[in-house]
Amino acid sequence: MSQNAMEANATETEPQVGSSQDDDVMVEVRDLRTYYEGEGLFGGTPVKAVDGVSFDIKRGETLGLVGESGCGKSTLGRTLIQLESATGGEIRFDGTDITTLSGAELKKWRRNAQMVFQDPDSSLNDRMTIGEIVREPLDVHDWKTPRERRQHVKELLDTVGLQREHYYRYPHQFSGGQRQRIGIARTLTLEPEFIVLDEPVSALDVSVQAEVINLLEDLQEEFGLTYLFIAHDLSVVRHICDRVAVMYLGNIMEIGPTEELFANPANPYTHSLLSAIPEPDPSAHKDRITLHGTPPSPRFPPDGCPFSTRCPARIRPPEYEELDNELWVQLDTLREVLRERDRAEKSVTDRIRELLGKEPRFGTIEEIYGELFDEHDVPADVQEILDETADLARDEGEIAALDRLGEEFGSVCEGYDPDPDTGAENEDEDDPVAPEYYTVSPSGRRSFCHRHDPNAEYAEPDQVLDERH
Amino acid sequence: MSMNEFDDKTLRERIADNPQPALAWLAGVLVLVALELGRLASGLVQVGETTRFALGGIASVPGSVEESVASSLGEIAGLVAFGLTVLVLLGIAAILVKWLLIPWTLVDRLGIEASTGVKDIIERVIVTGLLVVAAALVVLTPVGGVLEMAVSALTRGVEWVSSLPTITSRELISNEGYQLPDGSWEGTFLGLSPAVAWALRVAVVYAYALVWLAWLWRGYETFREHYREADWTPRDDSINRLRNHYWGMFGLIVVIMFLVMALWAPAVSPATAEANLYQPYEHEFEYYGDDGVESITHGEANSDSRSQGGDTNVGVMSYDNHDRFHPFGTNTDGKDLFTFLAYGAQVSLVIGLLATVLMAVIATALALITAYYKGVTDLVTIVASDSIISLPRFLLVLLLSVLFMQANHPVAEIYDGGLLLALIFAGTGWPLLWRSVRGPALQVSEQEWIDAAKSYGQSPAATMRKHMAPYIAGYMLIYASLSLGGVIIGVAALSFLGFGVQAPTPEWGRAVYEGQSYIATSSWHIATLPGILVVLLVTGFNALGDGIRDAIDPQSEASDGAAGAAGGGG
Repeated sequence: MSQNAMEANATETEPQVGSSQDDDVMVEVRDLRTYYEGEGLFGGTPVKAVDGVSFDIKRGETLGLVGESGCGKSTLGRTLIQLESATGGEIRFDGTDITTLSGAELKKWRRNAQMVFQDPDSSLNDRMTIGEIVREPLDVHDWKTPRERRQHVKELLDTVGLQREHYYRYPHQFSGGQRQRIGIARTLTLEPEFIVLDEPVSALDVSVQAEVINLLEDLQEEFGLTYLFIAHDLSVVRHICDRVAVMYLGNIMEIGPTEELFANPANPYTHSLLSAIPEPDPSAHKDRITLHGTPPSPRFPPDGCPFSTRCPARIRPPEYEELDNELWVQLDTLREVLRERDRAEKSVTDRIRELLGKEPRFGTIEEIYGELFDEHDVPADVQEILDETADLARDEGEIAALDRLGEEFGSVCEGYDPDPDTGAENEDEDDPVAPEYYTVSPSGRRSFCHRHDPNAEYAEPDQVLDERH
Repeated sequence: MSMNEFDDKTLRERIADNPQPALAWLAGVLVLVALELGRLASGLVQVGETTRFALGGIASVPGSVEESVASSLGEIAGLVAFGLTVLVLLGIAAILVKWLLIPWTLVDRLGIEASTGVKDIIERVIVTGLLVVAAALVVLTPVGGVLEMAVSALTRGVEWVSSLPTITSRELISNEGYQLPDGSWEGTFLGLSPAVAWALRVAVVYAYALVWLAWLWRGYETFREHYREADWTPRDDSINRLRNHYWGMFGLIVVIMFLVMALWAPAVSPATAEANLYQPYEHEFEYYGDDGVESITHGEANSDSRSQGGDTNVGVMSYDNHDRFHPFGTNTDGKDLFTFLAYGAQVSLVIGLLATVLMAVIATALALITAYYKGVTDLVTIVASDSIISLPRFLLVLLLSVLFMQANHPVAEIYDGGLLLALIFAGTGWPLLWRSVRGPALQVSEQEWIDAAKSYGQSPAATMRKHMAPYIAGYMLIYASLSLGGVIIGVAALSFLGFGVQAPTPEWGRAVYEGQSYIATSSWHIATLPGILVVLLVTGFNALGDGIRDAIDPQSEASDGAAGAAGGGG
């Protein structure tokens, strides 16, 4: 996704976001981006872990953040409490943009926002006693007298369901659940308002998970805390969260009240994600939506909609609307293979093999075609384009072939202009079109999908999914 | 037992409430100090002299900077350089003074409002300013003269105290005397034979040191029993683990024996270094010769007591022709080998410890910094350390020490080149230590508790100290104790080649060198005994390193020393 498109996108969505949030907003995130620079000395393409997200967190609520591994949800959480510095955008915490804070101001602000970490084995320093661990934040901020600190820590141990005598014990003397309680006690010492819970129960036994979840809920009530709950366990999220944000490849695909989102998802990605929840009732009839392929590399996110490469409800060009679903899957696979080949660096031996006229490591385009299309009935017009593509791939490389395929089978989802005739209108915007956030329900739920565009006449995602599956 | 509701008092208040055990312990300390007051005072005088020497060296820096700048850029530039150097030096001093002597912040006292970073700078500027005023007063006003007088008066006082007799003094239990024809001894302590008198003195020295250790332990127990808030703290477990770690205890005992030998070298050696090693022809002693009691210089007597194989030999536990007792025999010059080794222990320990501590400090600091910041810092350190490692170390050490000694650099004169050697070994040795702990440091820097510390605003320096350093300290102890042996052997090897610590300053390596050609003769002791001592000392440090590592790691629940013995390789 390009910079320009994103900025345009952000400015467009801002007023809409602002108008829907008149209650007590604590954290406002606007067009936040966190990129990791390349490993090499000279940078290289950065990994776009968080690629332009905007949302609000209201005071006292629990916002869930779900998504597959590697979608950037942990990075987003870490950026919110300034463990990572943002590449762009802003995080307004009670009106202050904390991405601009540094030094003493940042240290002072850190009291407001704390984090519970995922792995209780790794989040506690084994060489310190529980008392020292929980007390350290107080020491750092020079809170009252040492005596009062000790008292405070012991009270906190009580609060999180441990005993005061545990002050002098070591972490390795405790079970995983107890260790997580210690971690929670440490986050509470500075009396923060906002806590990021980074998969706080995923490393725990199922029996202990419930206890810790209940503890977190009790603490929220007692201290009036605001949570950002990062998880991939959807049932836990449904239990604890007031609102949920669904993340994919550094973008928020859908955000809205939990029950509504779970009962009636709007975004195709939310649909697929929810369909992955196992159903305890064996007689229940449920269509699982299987996503093909793997998520694209966050270093090279696709043009247009981030989900476009795997979307089960992608908008198809009208002239190919009648094509078989199976064939579409094969066409998508072909494009993914070509993209992979384009990015895979050829080694010296590969080049030599090519020069000697031997088969390259990846196999020839004919082999790929054979695997993908031999068992399918390919209509003549499609076959024509496929042959053309094969020639392009051989003669001019994968990029040319991909362009050809995109022109023919691509749609607005992948950033191709839906109607070439209206191209003149978008003259100043030479970059592909990203989707926008559309409000999809009266509660202010927003979804990031072209299909919600009221100006174009696309079918809603659930309708399409019903048809195609 | 109410563990949770301590009456939070300071240690001073707790002692005031129940002063009796503390006073009893303190009385014991005073008795122990009184017994060795003279030696303690002479130690103080030495420390004072060293400090004065060091301060004089530092104070001469601005002057020499001024001189060199003035000679190339003119006098005004020289003055400016002088002023700047003075400010820089006082600025550094200000950091130390602030850290050591001023526990509160002047800025807060004065009520200056600023952000934390600016406050630190203002604080430093204020302290530097105060130091400038103090320095100006000393240099430009009679205050300096008064100060000088006060210092010299104090020195005289301490020197007088140092002349007091002590329990371990040579005069009290003398082993120097002569045997009358009837077999009785004249001049020795209670008429005992020199061998027995010497053994008695050594026994008294070690007994005194052991009593001190026991009393310190008793003090810790008193504190634990009467004054500590908690019934139990993690340190108790560490100490228990060390006590049950036999291999570690062996190391501790060896190291203590050597430390005592080095610290009480004048007391445990049969003759003084001054008389026997440095100026043998200016010190006389009496012996019973053919014409009754005669006087002879140590030098002349030494020429009669050489150990050079065959019949020319004064072996272990024997007397020479002039009734001097040699517990370890004599060396090739006829000097007493035990005296040589006792003073050599001082030299070896000082050089070895100084080099190893410097090395370990540099390596630990770099490991923490590179693991915490990674990236370019790490890369630069890798390049620097690889450059040093790629040079043949011993050759580099050799070249540097020859260079500095030939140039008569002032550093080469301190401690007969000992400081120079320590610096060279530290400068060439840190890359290996850093390499060894870089992996563990990177590993611990990936732990979530580092992120946690950052999330509540812990400073990078404190994070490294509290959350990373303890995890590499174990490795560092092992590798440092290994390289301590390396340094001692390296210094010995240099002396062996004639470039290390210069004669007549005793050094173990030189004894091995001198004795090597007699190893198969009756004078085998010259090379063998110092060699065994080196091995024992190096093993002892390794064992102690093992023990401490196992003791400070709460996860290695009492392994009864078996694992410690196996863990020698680190």
